[in-house]
Amino acid sequence: MSAFITLALPLSDQECLLAALAELGFGANRVEVHDSPVHLTGYQGDQRVQRGHIVIRRQHVGEAANDIGFERSPTGFRAHVSDWDQAHGYGPEWIRRLQASYCKQDKLKQARLAREREDADVETRRAAAVQVRRQAEDQQRLVAAQRRAVYEKARKMGYRVQEERHQGDTLRLVLVKRSY
Amino acid sequence: MGLLNVAQMIPHSAVNGPGERFVLWVQGCSLHCPGCWNPATWSSRPNQMIAPLDLAEVIVSTPRIEGLTLTGGEPFEQAAELAPLAARVRGHGRSVMVFTGYELGELVTDAHQALMVSCDILVTGRYRRAERSLGLAWRGSANQRIHFLTDRYGPASMPATSECEVHIAADGRLTLTGFPPPALTENH
Repeated sequence: MSAFITLALPLSDQECLLAALAELGFGANRVEVHDSPVHLTGYQGDQRVQRGHIVIRRQHVGEAANDIGFERSPTGFRAHVSDWDQAHGYGPEWIRRLQASYCKQDKLKQARLAREREDADVETRRAAAVQVRRQAEDQQRLVAAQRRAVYEKARKMGYRVQEERHQGDTLRLVLVKRSY
Repeated sequence: MGLLNVAQMIPHSAVNGPGERFVLWVQGCSLHCPGCWNPATWSSRPNQMIAPLDLAEVIVSTPRIEGLTLTGGEPFEQAAELAPLAARVRGHGRSVMVFTGYELGELVTDAHQALMVSCDILVTGRYRRAERSLGLAWRGSANQRIHFLTDRYGPASMPATSECEVHIAADGRLTLTGFPPPALTENH
């Protein structure tokens, strides 16, 4: 069979990611948010090489745990979870729950902005319109970053890329490699 | 005629058979090959239930396609619904290709034969993880076989390349099809 694989929606919106973490039990009082990334800390108080713009400190994660971090990148926030913590409740299943919650928060945010754009109050309408425009610009940057990332992976693996815009806004990249 | 249980559709793909093709992943497969790309298509619970001839109209009115590719899931487990759809698509001059996990000798029922009659290319055989290869045109593992059932295509129609396709949606979400290497199936 030919594959049909849809990858998770990139965690690109900080507001939605924080709301998703809150839904999983990490509300504002248990999460640090930084403009510049900070190093994560290990269970012995050691500084780790991984960094995060959003950090859940180890005392909130569990006994003998390490910090969990989310580092902003052009293709969305990247989660840093230690091997130990992945084996103790923060593995792929936790990431799946986080992604599901993120999708829900994203839908709620879109619905809220749509309502606010119809609001009777002019200021509310204007603020919502500005946020929608900013989101659209962020999404364009995200698509461009995803495109660059695919090109980079394709180049490393020896594929040529043929690009075509399809079905409205969908971008199609065909990867081909002579194999025999 | 019953309804067809559909998992996914892509109206334009260049890596699921010869030329530009409409690709239909059916929902439901009892074979459960270990390492299958698409385990979400195994369940036979209703997903998108569509009248076959309504879907045929959508397919034949899709511009710039050479044909239809049926995959899944297991197309031959819905052969009775797919046979009239494939016949209608062929009747409009488009080709039909089918990926199945069954071997040719297992496709023996009247419904199986009715679907095969409208099929130009058939790729058969279970996916075997131990024989996985990304260097084979239209196949995921080396045991699988390609059968040209009409004169429309032949071995010369097969690409001399391994191919996969990435669709980037407006919200940045990636969808992969074809035969993607593992490195592409990770988010970063």
